[in-house]
Amino acid sequence: MLRCTLLPTALVGLAATLSAQDLLVRAKTVVIAPDAVLADGRFLVRAGKVAYVGQDVPADAAAKATAIDCGDALVVPGFVLPPTTLGRDRDLAEAALPFTPDLRAVEAFDPWHEELAKLPHGGFTSAILSPSPRNIAGGLGALVKPGAGGGSVAAPDLHLALSLNAAARNPERPPTSLMGAVDLLRSAFAQAKSSAAAGPDVAVLRSALQGNRKIAIAADTLSEIQQALDLARDFGFDAVIVGARDADKALDRLVAQRAAVVIGGLAPEMRLAQLQFPARLAEAGVPFCFTGRPDQARLSAALAVRHGLDRKSAWAALSRAPAQMFGVAGQVGALRQGCAADFAVWSGDPLDLGSALRAVYVDGARVHGELPSAAANPASSPAAGVR
Amino acid sequence: MHPVTGPAIENGVVVIRGERIVAVGKKGEIDVPQGAVVRSFPTGHVYPGLIDAATDAYTDPSLRGDGSSDGGTAFVDDLRKQDSRVHDLAAQGITTAYVTVRSPAFVRGQGAIVRPKKDGGFEPWSGKDKAALQVRMTNGPGRSHALERQQQLQQADGLFEGLDEYRKALTDHEDALKKYDKEFADYLAFHQKKKDGDKKPEGDKPTGSNKPAGDGKPADAPAGAGQGGGGNDPPKDEPPKKDPPKQLDGEQAAAFEAALLTLLEAIAQDPKPKEPPKPDAPKPDGQQPAPAGGAPAAEKKDEGPKRPTYPKAPSKEPQRDALLKVLDGELPLRVEAHRPDELRAALALQQARKVPVLVLEQAYGAAALADEIAKAGAAVVLTECLPIPFEPPYDRFDATKLPARLAAAGVPFAIATGRASWSSLLPLQAAAAVGGGLAPAEALRAITLTPAEILGVAKDAGSLQPGKYADVLVTDRPLFLTDSRVLLVLGKGNAEYEVK
Repeated sequence: MLRCTLLPTALVGLAATLSAQDLLVRAKTVVIAPDAVLADGRFLVRAGKVAYVGQDVPADAAAKATAIDCGDALVVPGFVLPPTTLGRDRDLAEAALPFTPDLRAVEAFDPWHEELAKLPHGGFTSAILSPSPRNIAGGLGALVKPGAGGGSVAAPDLHLALSLNAAARNPERPPTSLMGAVDLLRSAFAQAKSSAAAGPDVAVLRSALQGNRKIAIAADTLSEIQQALDLARDFGFDAVIVGARDADKALDRLVAQRAAVVIGGLAPEMRLAQLQFPARLAEAGVPFCFTGRPDQARLSAALAVRHGLDRKSAWAALSRAPAQMFGVAGQVGALRQGCAADFAVWSGDPLDLGSALRAVYVDGARVHGELPSAAANPASSPAAGVR
Repeated sequence: MHPVTGPAIENGVVVIRGERIVAVGKKGEIDVPQGAVVRSFPTGHVYPGLIDAATDAYTDPSLRGDGSSDGGTAFVDDLRKQDSRVHDLAAQGITTAYVTVRSPAFVRGQGAIVRPKKDGGFEPWSGKDKAALQVRMTNGPGRSHALERQQQLQQADGLFEGLDEYRKALTDHEDALKKYDKEFADYLAFHQKKKDGDKKPEGDKPTGSNKPAGDGKPADAPAGAGQGGGGNDPPKDEPPKKDPPKQLDGEQAAAFEAALLTLLEAIAQDPKPKEPPKPDAPKPDGQQPAPAGGAPAAEKKDEGPKRPTYPKAPSKEPQRDALLKVLDGELPLRVEAHRPDELRAALALQQARKVPVLVLEQAYGAAALADEIAKAGAAVVLTECLPIPFEPPYDRFDATKLPARLAAAGVPFAIATGRASWSSLLPLQAAAAVGGGLAPAEALRAITLTPAEILGVAKDAGSLQPGKYADVLVTDRPLFLTDSRVLLVLGKGNAEYEVK
């Protein structure tokens, strides 16, 4: 009871402190979103969020803010890592039970986990922590962030994680086959649609079917992808296909059903068709992003650009697309007003491997790197914040 | 235009005649010959053809699992045109490549320098088809005890054991051959003179010899005369005095000379003949030829110099031949070594065996030894510079920052693909090195002029300079941008790739 009484007071105090420490971020190029790039851009950070962008920054607020002058560098939204278990696969799968849609990934979140702490090294500022695909219905994902003093949860109950891939078909418990897995999900969705059913599982499924949360289905082979798309069609939701190894064979259906895909990371030794697939997806208008190790995501995007993907789509694949796919576009993936001040400072376009990561900020606080002394310009006088 | 050896030239022009560059400079400052074919790329970027200092292009995939090769194996013998796109190095702007195979063999063989041609073809670089000796001084990333690795490293040192004896045997053989040549010449001369002496009294018979006749030396000593008897050999400058020889007519003399030469040739080919050969030609005056390989000539004091015995050649060992070339600096020693202890062992080997030209390959852990490598004068070929984190136990190595560290220490290094499937990524690897702190000009050098120097072809390739091969790469935007596209590739002035 005491805590409940004190906490609001503390938050108010914290908010006041943050308000007094507005940041004005300036750079030669500021990428607000893939389709909104500001030359000699700036934005104002207040209380960890982007408060104003570009010409909208009030002069008096700019004058009082602490300036972060990034010089010739490029400021981009922090990358968003799509579904990941962040090295905690065992804690994010209830192996004995195939159907646990109401379990919450956030309850297995370790704010000090090494993989979380390393995210900023690759320019990532948030991740979609997801139940493992080893369960048919694994549970609910969460949006988590690294931080200088440990990670944090930005959104606790996000998407519903389902799986039809081989990992979910455990020979030690039913269902052991794809048809069994599909039947299980069909039955569950049908039950959720029925107003008579109740219970936590049903509530989660019903909420998802009502469009309140995204549904991501892990599916690799063509048959798995087709079954996932069938479920989406029959129960009326827009699916996010995760893994999607054979997505090139189902491209027409992906387009027709407005599905999005989270494809595996690219590697140099892959076949040409695999390396060119992101360009095909972009051309077809299918939203996509890259899963896999966070330290390889940038290379995946660069390889895709090398093989025909346009830069805007590649930028989107690293930031806006995963945010939109999992329903957090209002919070991360862009530097629009109201979004979290999660951004990275690069010496150049991160899609060019010659560019180096200078610094990463989460909620307006630096969590990795530092700007060169000439660029990092924490103004001592308010006037220094105004150009 | 980026000549590599100097700053970039705005509105640059390169003039090519035949297979060579004749001029490079700024438009308006260079005389373009009248009637020249002009290829213009107003927004393009021009570079020297790229040089991949390590690739497995044009090799059969089965070689990668072949541990049977040794130092005598020449990869050039197994290269062939490949239809796969990944082997189309020319389309990626690569005009020179060093081909090797990462096989499990301890001594992998001799790599080849080739010039990629259009559609996956290639031609060996003349005189450089055996360009370096490859040795593997690593167990790879697998876990292994340091002592176990040390044993393997000692194995490398063992390669050089016995080389002195082998070289001595070769040298002795060469000396023996020279001595043989000289003695055989003396031997021939002696008999020629004897023959000429025999002819001299007639004075009007042609001898067929260029040497002046009438030197007083007898010419009618039977072939192999020095082999049979117990006489003393006369001093070389004092031919034995004998009774006046019996005269031969012209046909007899010619036949005798032919028989003698045939016999001596036969003797020369057979170092230890058991039986004296029987010449086909008729013998002059019915004299019997002396046995060819019999008793020493010294036993016949008055029959001229003894017939020399053809020296027996030592058994040839191609691996040791290659190692001797390594020690003589004719062939670089390229050592694949990853960890600092392996690299240190390679440097120790270089020092202990006085290897003049050492090239360290892959060398992921070279950052810790950069100064030592520079001091040793070794070069490095890096093959994995993309920002792909290594798996343990190599995860402590940073591939993208290593080039900058080597550059700071003054180590000559090249950035290479290491495999054909990465050919299109050679510029990206150099770009990643820039991201790791390397200056862009040095990164460009690491895929052009420095590998040319390491491969020993800098006289002809690696930069846009008059006199060098017209190996030219044209891209639509700066090479290090991820979406840079190849527009044109010239190899020795010929179009090896051109975008449609």
